[in-house]
Amino acid sequence: MNDKEMSAGKMSNGHFVSQDPFNPHSIETLTPAQEKFYMASQWKLMWWKLKRHRLAVICGVILALNYATIMFSEVIAPYNLHSRNSDYIYSPPQSVHLFHQGEFIGPFVYGRDFELDMEILKRNYPERLDDVQPLRFFCSGDSYRFWGLFEASFHLICPPENGTFFLLGTDRLGRDMFSRITYGARISLTIGLVGIIISFTFGIIIGGLAGYYGGWVDASVQRLIEVIRSFPELPLWMALSAVLPVNWSPILIFFGITVILALLDWTGLARAVRSKLLSLREEDYCAAAELMGAKPGRIIGRHLLPGFMSHLIASATLSIPAMILGETALSFLGLGLRPPVTSWGVLLNEAQNINVVALYPWLLYPVVPVILVILTFNFFGDGLRDAADPYK
Amino acid sequence: MNVGIGRLLLLLSLLSAGPLQAMERLKETTSLLEKVQSGELPPIEQRVPQEPELVRLGGDMTPGEQGGELRLLMGKQKDIRQMVIYGYARLIGYTPDLELKADILKSYEVTDNRIFTLHLRKGHKWSDGHPFTSEDFRYFWEDIANNPELSKSGPPWALLVDGKPPQVEYPDQYTVRYSWHAPNPYFLTSLAGAVPLYIYKPAHYLRQFHARYQDLEVLEQLVKKEGKRNWLSIHFNRDRPYKATNPDLPTLQPWMNTTSPPADRFIFKRNPYYHRIDQNGKQLPYIDSVAIGIASSGLVPAKTGAGESDLQGRYLRMDNYTFLKTAAKRNNFDVRLWKAAKGAHLALYPNLNTSDPAYRELLRDQRFRRAISLAINRHEINQVVYFGLVQESNNTVLTESPLYKPSYQSDWTQFDLEHANRLLDELGLSERDDRGVRLLSDGRPLEIMVQTAGESTEQTDVLELIHDSWLDAGIKLYTIPSTREVFRNRIFSGDAIMSIWSGLENGIVTPDNSPMELAPTSKYQYQWPQWGNYYESGGQAGEEPDLPAARELVELMDQWSDALNRQQRLQIWHRMLEINRDQMFSIGIVNHVPHPVVVSNFLHNVPEVGFFDISPGAYFGIYKPDTFWFDEVRH
Amino acid sequence: MLHYLVRRLLTMIPTLLVISMLVFVIIQLPPGDYLESHIAELQSQGEAVDEQKIQFLREQYGLDKPMLHQYWFWLTGMLQGDFGYSFEYDLPVTEVVGDRLFLTVIVSIATIVFTWVMAFPIGIYSATHQYSWGDYGLSTLGFLGLATPNFLLALVMLYLANVYFGTSIGGLMEPEYIDAPWSIDKMLSILEHLWIPVVVIGTSGTAGMIRRLRANLLDELQKQYVTTGRAKGLPPGKLLRKYPLRIALNFFVADIGNLLPTVISGAEIVAVVMSLPMTGPILLSALQSQDMYLAGSFLMFLALLTVFGVLVSDIALALLDPRIRLGGTAGK
Repeated sequence: MNDKEMSAGKMSNGHFVSQDPFNPHSIETLTPAQEKFYMASQWKLMWWKLKRHRLAVICGVILALNYATIMFSEVIAPYNLHSRNSDYIYSPPQSVHLFHQGEFIGPFVYGRDFELDMEILKRNYPERLDDVQPLRFFCSGDSYRFWGLFEASFHLICPPENGTFFLLGTDRLGRDMFSRITYGARISLTIGLVGIIISFTFGIIIGGLAGYYGGWVDASVQRLIEVIRSFPELPLWMALSAVLPVNWSPILIFFGITVILALLDWTGLARAVRSKLLSLREEDYCAAAELMGAKPGRIIGRHLLPGFMSHLIASATLSIPAMILGETALSFLGLGLRPPVTSWGVLLNEAQNINVVALYPWLLYPVVPVILVILTFNFFGDGLRDAADPYK
Repeated sequence: MNVGIGRLLLLLSLLSAGPLQAMERLKETTSLLEKVQSGELPPIEQRVPQEPELVRLGGDMTPGEQGGELRLLMGKQKDIRQMVIYGYARLIGYTPDLELKADILKSYEVTDNRIFTLHLRKGHKWSDGHPFTSEDFRYFWEDIANNPELSKSGPPWALLVDGKPPQVEYPDQYTVRYSWHAPNPYFLTSLAGAVPLYIYKPAHYLRQFHARYQDLEVLEQLVKKEGKRNWLSIHFNRDRPYKATNPDLPTLQPWMNTTSPPADRFIFKRNPYYHRIDQNGKQLPYIDSVAIGIASSGLVPAKTGAGESDLQGRYLRMDNYTFLKTAAKRNNFDVRLWKAAKGAHLALYPNLNTSDPAYRELLRDQRFRRAISLAINRHEINQVVYFGLVQESNNTVLTESPLYKPSYQSDWTQFDLEHANRLLDELGLSERDDRGVRLLSDGRPLEIMVQTAGESTEQTDVLELIHDSWLDAGIKLYTIPSTREVFRNRIFSGDAIMSIWSGLENGIVTPDNSPMELAPTSKYQYQWPQWGNYYESGGQAGEEPDLPAARELVELMDQWSDALNRQQRLQIWHRMLEINRDQMFSIGIVNHVPHPVVVSNFLHNVPEVGFFDISPGAYFGIYKPDTFWFDEVRH
Repeated sequence: MLHYLVRRLLTMIPTLLVISMLVFVIIQLPPGDYLESHIAELQSQGEAVDEQKIQFLREQYGLDKPMLHQYWFWLTGMLQGDFGYSFEYDLPVTEVVGDRLFLTVIVSIATIVFTWVMAFPIGIYSATHQYSWGDYGLSTLGFLGLATPNFLLALVMLYLANVYFGTSIGGLMEPEYIDAPWSIDKMLSILEHLWIPVVVIGTSGTAGMIRRLRANLLDELQKQYVTTGRAKGLPPGKLLRKYPLRIALNFFVADIGNLLPTVISGAEIVAVVMSLPMTGPILLSALQSQDMYLAGSFLMFLALLTVFGVLVSDIALALLDPRIRLGGTAGK
C-alpha cells in the first residue's frame, strides 16, 4: 500500500486520482463463500447445485439403498430363491402384527389353515387368530450360496419356527414373492447399469471420433445413427434377441440382452458428444494441445471430454430407466430373460394374465419396485442434469 | 368292446323308413323363409338331399329350435379354420363312441380293406346349390392329385400303398370306387380326420381357375392382377377348403364363411343345402350363424370370463378355471371340465440321437430312462399344479381306449428314489461332486438340459418340480427355454439332450388308428428324430435305428399296415405299447388333464363332459355342434 | 432453400437403401423361415402337416431361392409400388396393412392430443415453479405413467373397465360393430373403448414431453430478455406467452420426425395386449412368424416416414425460427 500513496497525488480541484493500474480486487473483494464457489471443482459445484433439488437428493439416497440391497439379496430375502412351499400355493400376503389382544408381543404373524374350495378350485388360507407366531431376526433359515461362493444360512428375517412368513404372498409354486423380488432386483438393477456403461462407451468413442475428425468419419457416423434411429426399436430388439444362441447360460443371455439394449441406446449420446466436440475442438486450448504434440486420443480423453462429462453422466442416468423398462418389455415378448431366471421383467410377465389381476393381485407387487426405481432414477437424473451446468 | 367316452348320447339312425317319414314332415327354416319366398333359394325339399342324414336326438340331447348367433373367440385370423374342424362334416366321421360312420356319404363298402366303394346321397348339393357328384371326386383325382404341376410329388401319401396309386372308377354320378393292390388302412381314418383328407373338390367352381378348363389368357390376367407367380397359385389360393378363407368356395360344412379376410370378425352363415335334418324335419344346423371374434390369445380367457363367448375351449387352460368359475354366475355361463385326449399332457423326451456321445450312451440305456422316471414325483406335480385332478401316468393310451392296460400307465411311474438311485449306481454313476451331483465316466457332472419351447409357464413349473426330486437322485436339471422353431431345430440337430412336450397326440385310440407315434417314423418325434427321418425319407436321410427295440417297433409298424383284420392290428398295438412301456422311450408325467370349456347357459346339447382335443374328437366336432341350439331369449 | 432440399433428398437415397438391406437382414436373422414356423405352429396344435403342400408353397413363395434373389425381388417390387405378399394372411401386404391404418391413425392422434393436453400445463407449471412441491408433485404424476410397464397397466385397466363400466374387453368397439357400417352408435362405442389405450399409451409419453418442455422453458426463462421484460413490469402471464413459450415450443415441431412413424405403427405392445385392431400387432406377429414381406415392407414404410419426418421438421423449424439456418450453404 506504500507505493500507492506515493504515486497518488492530489489534483488542483481537490479530486483524487489514483495513478495505479486498476485492480478489480480492490473493489470487489470475494467473500470466503464466493471464493469457495469460484475456486471449487466442477464436481463440487455440481454437488452444491444438486443439493438444492431436494427430491433428487432423496431419490439418490433411495437408489443407493436399492443398489446396496443387491449386494446382500441372500441375506435380506427370508427364503432362498428356489425354495417353494407346496402347502402354500397362491398364498395371499401375511400381515405383520405387533399387538395380540391388546398386548404388545413384537412382530409376529398368525398361523394359517388351508382349505381348498373344490367348487372353484381355489386355495384359501384363513388365519388362526389364536396362533401367534413371532418372527425371528438375525437368524438362521434357508441355506444359500452367497454370490455362489460359500454356503451360509444367515438371514435378516426368518419365518417363525414351523411357520411361514410371506410378506408379499406366494406364487403358483408357493415361492415367496418378497424373496423373488429381492433376488430379481439383482438382475434388473444391474441390467440398467451394465447396459448404460456399454452404451456410454460406444457413444463416447463413436461420437468422439465423429466430432473430432469430422469429414467422412462424421458423415458416415451420422448416416449410421440416422439409420438406427429411423428404425422402430421393437423389431430390432426382436431380431437381435433371436440371434442370441439358446444354449447360452442365463448369465450370458443376460449379458447379451444388456448389449442389445445398449446397442440401440448409444446413438443419442453419440450425437451429444459429437456436437459438443465439434464446437470444443475449435477452442484455443485444444489447438495448443495439438501443437504440443498430443495425440487425438489424449486430446479427446484428457482435454475435451472432461469439459462436458457431467452432462453426459446426467443424460446417461436418464436412460437407465428406459433400459429397465426395456428388459420388462423384452420379457413380455418372450425374448428377454425367461424363467427359471428371476428378474422383475420375468416376474411381471408371469403376472401378465387375467387370473392374477382378478384373483391373485399380490403377484403384481413387482411393479412397485419397478415404478419406484424408475421414478427415482428420473428425478435423480433430472437433478443431475440441472446441476451439470453449475454457473447457470 | 365298448369305447366308454363318458357320455350317454345315442345318435340312432332310423331304419330306411325313418328318413322318408321325416322327409314328409320337412319344415322350412325360419331364417331362410324370406329368401325362399322371393325365389332366391329353392324350398327345403329341394335343398336337402333326397336321402338326408337323419340325426335322432335322444338321451341328454333334445331336439331344438333354429336360430341365433353363436359367438366364438379365436386368437388369429388363420384360426377360422377351426370352423372346419368344429363343423366336422366328413365323408365318413367318428361317432362319439369312436366308431366310423358314413356322414356326407350315404354309405360305403369295404372289401379286404383294399377296395372302397363310396355312395353319395342323391340330390346332395354344395352350399351354392350345385349338385355334389362323382365328378367332384374325379376333378380332385385327375385334375389336382395327378396334375404334375399342382401336385409335383403325386397324390397324398394316404392314397398310396407301397408308393402305388389306386385305381379310381366312377360307375355313376353317385358312386366312386377306389381299389388298391394291397390293404390301405389309412384311407378311412384320413377321411374321418379332424384335419381331413379332401378327395373331392367343387369342380364346377374350381374349373375356372384350372389351366385345363380355362383360357390361359384369362388366367394370365388374373395372375397379373393378383401379383401371383402363375395359375397354380391362383388355383391353390382358391382351393383351400380347410382354411375357410375363400367365401366363394362352395362347401358341405354346416356353416360357410361369408367374410373375406382381413377382418377382425368373421361371420359364418348356415349352409342352406346342408345334408342333416333332425327327427322333426328341421334342417340342421340349428344355429343360424357363427360369429368369430379375433382377439389376441392372451385376452381370450378374460373375454370369455366377461361373457363374450358362448362356447369356448380354445386358449383356455386349467389355471383359468378358478377365474372363469368366479365370473360364471355374473355372466351367465357354465364352466365344464372336459379332458385332454393326449397320451400324456407333458412328457420328457430323451433324445436318443443326441450328438453328445456320453449322454447318448446313457440315454440309450433302458435302466437310465427308468431311473429318471422313478425319480419324478408325479404325485406332487399333480397336487401342486393340477389340484390332484389328473392321472399320474406314462405316455400311453388312456383308460377310455380299448387298448388300455393298467401296467402301461403305471409301470416305472411310482416315485421311488431308492430304486432310482440303485439303478443309477448300477450304471456306474456312483461318483458324486460336492453338490451331490453324479459324475459321468468322463468326469463331467450329470447335468441334463431340458429344452422347452417356452409355450407356457406350466412346463417350466413342472420342470422346476422335477428338478428338485432329480437332485435327490444326483441329477442336475437345467431348463432351457427357447422358441418352437429353435426348439425343434435343436432336437433335430442333436444339440438337445432332452426335451419336454406333450405326449401321444391321440390317447383314446382303437386298433384301427395308426400306431405310428409309437415307432420311429417321423423326424418330428423328439426321442429319435434321426431314426424317424430315416423311416420318413425311405432311408435317404437320417440314421438307421440301432436299438433292437426300436427296430422291432418299425417292423411292427409295417406289419400293422399290412394287417388284414382288427384282431391282428390289436395284437400289434399291444406289442408296441408293451415295448414302449418296457423301454420308456418317452417319459410321460400326467394325462387326463382337465380342460375348461365355457358354455353359455342359453346353449343346449353341449355335453357335460367330453374330450377336448383335436384328435380324434375334432374338439367339439364329434359332439355335433350343428345340433347345439339356443333358447328363444337369445335369438 | 431448393438447393438444400435437393441435397437432403439425395442423401436420403443411400440411407434408405442401407435401411432396406438392414430390414431384410433383420427379418432373416432368426433361424428358419415362414413355412418352418408355420409347420411348428400346426404341429403344436396337433394338426398334421402336408409336406407336399409345404414344398409347393415354398416354391410359390420363392423361399427356395437364394436370399439375394429374394431381396432383389422385394426391392424392385417396392420400387414399382408392389409391396409383396403376406404369407400369413394370403393377401397382398397393402391390403393387410391398409385395413387397419385408419383406426391406427385415430388412436395415435387421440393419444398425441392427450399427451399434449396433459404435458403442456404440467410442463409450464414445473418450469415456472421450479423445485416447488407443486413441481415435484406434478412431475411425479407425469413420471408415474412412464414408470408403469404399459402391458400390465393395460390389462389391469381393461379388467377394471369391464367390471365397473361393462366395457367389452379389448378391441376398439363392441364386437357387433366391427363389421357394421359407420353410425353414431359405432362412434360412441369407439369412444367408450378408446380412452383406455389412449391413457395407457399417452401416459408413457407424457413424462418425456413434460421434461422437454420444462427444460426448454427453463433455458429461455433464464435469458436476459426475460429479465429485461420482467424489470420493465410486463405481467408474468404475458411475459411467458410472448417469447419464451413460443421458442420452447420449437421442440414440438422438431418432434414430428419421431411422431410420424408412431402414428402409423401405434404402440405395438399395448395394442397386442389390448387386442386393438391396429397395425402394431400385425407387425409383431409378422416378425414372429417371419412373414417377411409383410414385416419388411411395413418396416420400410416406417423408416421412410422417419427419414421424411426429420426432413419436414427441419424445414418447418427453419421456417418458424429465423435463427435456424438450413445447412451451411443455404444462407441467403
